[in-house]
Amino acid sequence: MVLYQHFEVQKKVSLIQYGAKPNNKTQMIIEVKKLKKTYEGKVPTYALKEVSFGVKKGEFIALMGRSGSGKSTLLHQLGLLDSPTAGQIIIDGTNIVSFTEKQKSEFRLKKLGYVFQSYALLPELNALESVYLPLMLTGASKSQYIKKATEMLEKVGLGERIYHLPKEMSGGEQQRVAIARALVNDPAILFADEPTANLDSESSETILKLFKKLNKEIGQTIIMVTHELDDRKHVDRVIWLKDGVIKPENT
Amino acid sequence: MNIKASFFLARTSIIRGNKGTLAMTILIMTLAYVNLIFISSVFGGIVEAINEQSINNLYSNIVIAPADDEIYIENKDAMNSIDTIPGIVASSAHYINNTAISYDENHDGRDVQQGKWLIKSVDVADETQVTKISDSIIEGEYLEDNDRDKIVIGKEIAGSHGGDLDYLSLGGVYVGDQIDVKFSNGIKRTYTIKGIFSTKNSQADQMAFITTKEMESVLHVYNLASEIIVKIDEKGQEEKYIEQIRQAGLHDEDIKTWKQLTGFTSSASKSFTMISIILGAIGTVVAGITIFIIIFVSIVNKRRQIGILKAIGMKENTIILSFVMQAIFYAIIGIILGVSIILFLVRPFFIDNPLDFPVGWVSLKITFNIIRISNISLMVAALIGGFIPAFRGTKESILDSIWG
Repeated sequence: MVLYQHFEVQKKVSLIQYGAKPNNKTQMIIEVKKLKKTYEGKVPTYALKEVSFGVKKGEFIALMGRSGSGKSTLLHQLGLLDSPTAGQIIIDGTNIVSFTEKQKSEFRLKKLGYVFQSYALLPELNALESVYLPLMLTGASKSQYIKKATEMLEKVGLGERIYHLPKEMSGGEQQRVAIARALVNDPAILFADEPTANLDSESSETILKLFKKLNKEIGQTIIMVTHELDDRKHVDRVIWLKDGVIKPENT
Repeated sequence: MNIKASFFLARTSIIRGNKGTLAMTILIMTLAYVNLIFISSVFGGIVEAINEQSINNLYSNIVIAPADDEIYIENKDAMNSIDTIPGIVASSAHYINNTAISYDENHDGRDVQQGKWLIKSVDVADETQVTKISDSIIEGEYLEDNDRDKIVIGKEIAGSHGGDLDYLSLGGVYVGDQIDVKFSNGIKRTYTIKGIFSTKNSQADQMAFITTKEMESVLHVYNLASEIIVKIDEKGQEEKYIEQIRQAGLHDEDIKTWKQLTGFTSSASKSFTMISIILGAIGTVVAGITIFIIIFVSIVNKRRQIGILKAIGMKENTIILSFVMQAIFYAIIGIILGVSIILFLVRPFFIDNPLDFPVGWVSLKITFNIIRISNISLMVAALIGGFIPAFRGTKESILDSIWG
């Protein structure tokens, strides 16, 4: 708990440095306005059609919908992995749509964390190295990044496996390493793209409980794409997408 | 750009990557480097052999010819003082005469083989210090100072001794045979062949030698010279010694370095040097393309990883630098192993087993300059070959990199 408080303080400091306001449960951390994404081709595909919504700081949100509904596309736009065709994405008061590639890299490093569907670990890096790599990019000293990465791995229950390579770990363990890596820079928002899709039910439950714990204990804002209806029980709110448009939950 | 992160990624990729691929990559780089050095060194060796042949058998380092409108060098004091200049190993004075040499095998005036060749006179003690003709005897013996009716001839004059110009030769004469020589002043003398020599320089092999005393008796001149060839102990410093020779009193004589006299061989040397440069450039491009392919394949295999690295906020430059560092690592290891192979395996082998070229025995001429140029070439090739595929790979969008 002390460790979480330490991270929370650090997170507040980093947000302030980035021009954001201190944590406020009612503060909007993400505002999406009339977001459009069209994939050009012989027949254009309208993946997102003027999507607008907001996310409060500390919310745990699930993006749900059928395959092709636009949920992953939306996550990619929010996470600066792709550029929208039109509209605005305001994170911590900054419209990120007009960012240059360099600004996007900087923003991703310092403000956003990602957990991908298929672990997305570098096969040549052990758990500790995978987790401290983002810290190394921020210019932290070796002692700092080793200490913090070790603490983060302990937090996700992998304190005993910090020197293991991905091939020496189970899928669930790899995903927890990916989560530790995503959180090690104290991101304002954690994005997770179907993080349990490749895991067995037990590992999936472990991951979702970990997300829930992070959300409750340090107020981590989490936006997770999932197609599992059961996952609703872990989140604060579900944003339903259908054909690139947000629909009411009961539909 | 984060150099520390680039180095970290490059190091882990090399250390923990596929060992077989690493070994193969290093092997390719090593061979590419050996190829660069080897080609340049062989051609350097050929040029060296051409030059050595000219120095050892024709000109030594410096050739002193009479002043314009003079037939002989007449300044005896100056001639005698050449050998006293520090750094000059020895000098040898020659009389040179255009002669007609004939051989009548059956002594019946029929089927007489004849031709025109240069005969030079030598003071044997001096000559053996300056040229290596005396070491190239393939049949019989070299001259002695007291020989008067003896002659030593090149294989191209003798014929039937493996020369290239047999059709112009005496048709096959051997040690002990007698040949007739008609000098430019009309005097005719008969000489017994004492020795036949074979260098790898056809110009030298078209000459014959008699002793200075014999030539002076024919030409009726004494203590003069048609040319003086001078051997120095420091090849490449000819100009410095020419200056000192002039200061010794040979002011008006025509003094040239061996390089200035090697007309055909000089152009051949230039051609070989040009070929060497062209092949070196091609070798460098091939090495660059090899590195390009290695890094390109690595990037194709790590496409998803590049996407992940970009997704966690790593800048493109940092990723590119990590691949360039890998390429430079391969190049450095290739250079270290390549130099070791060249210096400790290839060079000793070719010293023991030189290549038999028409221009002479050719070994590898490995100079610091060749190694330096090859090192720079391979490093530049590694930089470019590593940078281009890495640059292209990182320009792909994150989503395309991760999910294809």
